[in-house]
Amino acid sequence: MSVLSLAGVEHAYLGRSVLKAVDLTVGAQEIVALVGPSGCGKSTLAHVAAGLLEPKSGRIERRYRRHAMIFQDPSLLPWATAAQNIAFGLRLSRLPRRQRADCVAEAAARAELEPGDLAKYPVELSGGMRQRVAIARALAVRPDFIYFDEPFTALDVALRRRMQDVAISNCADAGLSGLFITHDLHEAARIAHRVMVLDTYGAGILGDRSLPGRPGSRSDTQVQEWVAAALSRDPLFRHIHDVDERQIA
Amino acid sequence: MTARLSPPITTRLTERAGRVLEFLWSGWAGLAALFLLAAIWQAGHEAYGPFILTSPQETVAAVWRLAGDPAAWAVAGLTLQRAVTGFALVSGAGITIGLIAGYSPATMRLAQPLITVLMGVPPIAWIVLAMIWFGGSDATVRTVIVVSALPVVFLGAAQGIATRDRGLDRMAQAFGAGPVRRFLTVGLRQTTTTLFPAQVLALGTAFKVAVMAELLANAGGIGGALANARINLDIATALAWVLIAVLLLIAVEYTLVHPVKGEIDRWRRAAQPWGVKR
Repeated sequence: MSVLSLAGVEHAYLGRSVLKAVDLTVGAQEIVALVGPSGCGKSTLAHVAAGLLEPKSGRIERRYRRHAMIFQDPSLLPWATAAQNIAFGLRLSRLPRRQRADCVAEAAARAELEPGDLAKYPVELSGGMRQRVAIARALAVRPDFIYFDEPFTALDVALRRRMQDVAISNCADAGLSGLFITHDLHEAARIAHRVMVLDTYGAGILGDRSLPGRPGSRSDTQVQEWVAAALSRDPLFRHIHDVDERQIA
Repeated sequence: MTARLSPPITTRLTERAGRVLEFLWSGWAGLAALFLLAAIWQAGHEAYGPFILTSPQETVAAVWRLAGDPAAWAVAGLTLQRAVTGFALVSGAGITIGLIAGYSPATMRLAQPLITVLMGVPPIAWIVLAMIWFGGSDATVRTVIVVSALPVVFLGAAQGIATRDRGLDRMAQAFGAGPVRRFLTVGLRQTTTTLFPAQVLALGTAFKVAVMAELLANAGGIGGALANARINLDIATALAWVLIAVLLLIAVEYTLVHPVKGEIDRWRRAAQPWGVKR
């Protein structure tokens, strides 16, 4: 059963069509990676699916209970401590203070944040720590679906790998569903159950490929071999490294 | 689980006491600047004589004399009341219109030329008009304060909203916040960056304009007292009243504006290097 399905979704930005005829489904407990060249409208598609943008036409069905979102920019409130930032979603859902504190502590532990960092303000944290806070904020609302909008693109290679592991252990292994936007096929192959490719001009999903095994159980060699095979032999991935600087948010 | 969102009350109180002491300690730097000003004043006094410029010592003595007179307290209280109520009015009106204009570009486009007109009309012209409309009353002084300080408060509030981080709005929306909650949790807080300097400026304007309007409209208060000192050519008393007006402004600014600013800008201090803090 699918928890998210988009049918014939179209979105236009100031009169110019960005997405056309997009059909996409995400199954229960499935992480789907959406890849595509820069500027093809991947992020826009995630924002439309999450309800941040109104589609011009098409049908969106969300059968999950609650979603959370992790952005490329951590988007933390600069005036609030890490703990208060993690509690932001809980505050919006009007959870009593006492329960909030427990949720925050649990989410912080899942994102591998030190308790000592919780009293710090975002300016006092490193880039990686800020992204951990953003992950904890998403986990704190106990979602069953997470939108990842290129969350680790701005991080360096080693840090990105650690963050991917946090995402794998908290989502794929914890039975959550999710839509993971990325332009890094390697990242997609580590995290997702299934990889989808969006057309260079946003004109629909070109196709999808299921990955062997579970996200957490694939070895580096397996991931590398899959990516190499996909890029050299699979026509679906032929254009994913094309660059078109339309730069759509 | 014994998790807490914020540290225990004792820790918070000691932290606050620490901040207050640090703030008081920073007063030495302020005093140094004031004594420097007094030294220059003294030099001016010695160069031009007591009739042009009385010495700081004599002025302080005059302030002391006035402090013992209940009538003088009433005079100062009147000006203080007018300046603070005028400031409250201009804050309320300016922030409300400014926030609306920040969110609505159409309102901004309509308001901007009006603000330019307001800034272009000299305060003295408003005093004349207000005198004709309201006579020598509180309303005259308050009107002139509102008109003179409105542009700066308006722009402070409007800029704060217009230059807000839209990424935070998007984040709040992703977590299910509607427009009102986005404004309350994310938007309002971001205006403080531009609104606080504007408020400090508006408060200073309120005091200056209050004294000026009182003097010209013959409406009593410190302005009225200054007018009497001018008639009597009593330089010491005139300077004493100026000093009192400045002291009142300092008192209001440090009891009203700065504590709120300190509370709201705590996160900014966290980013400051040690040498800037002290």
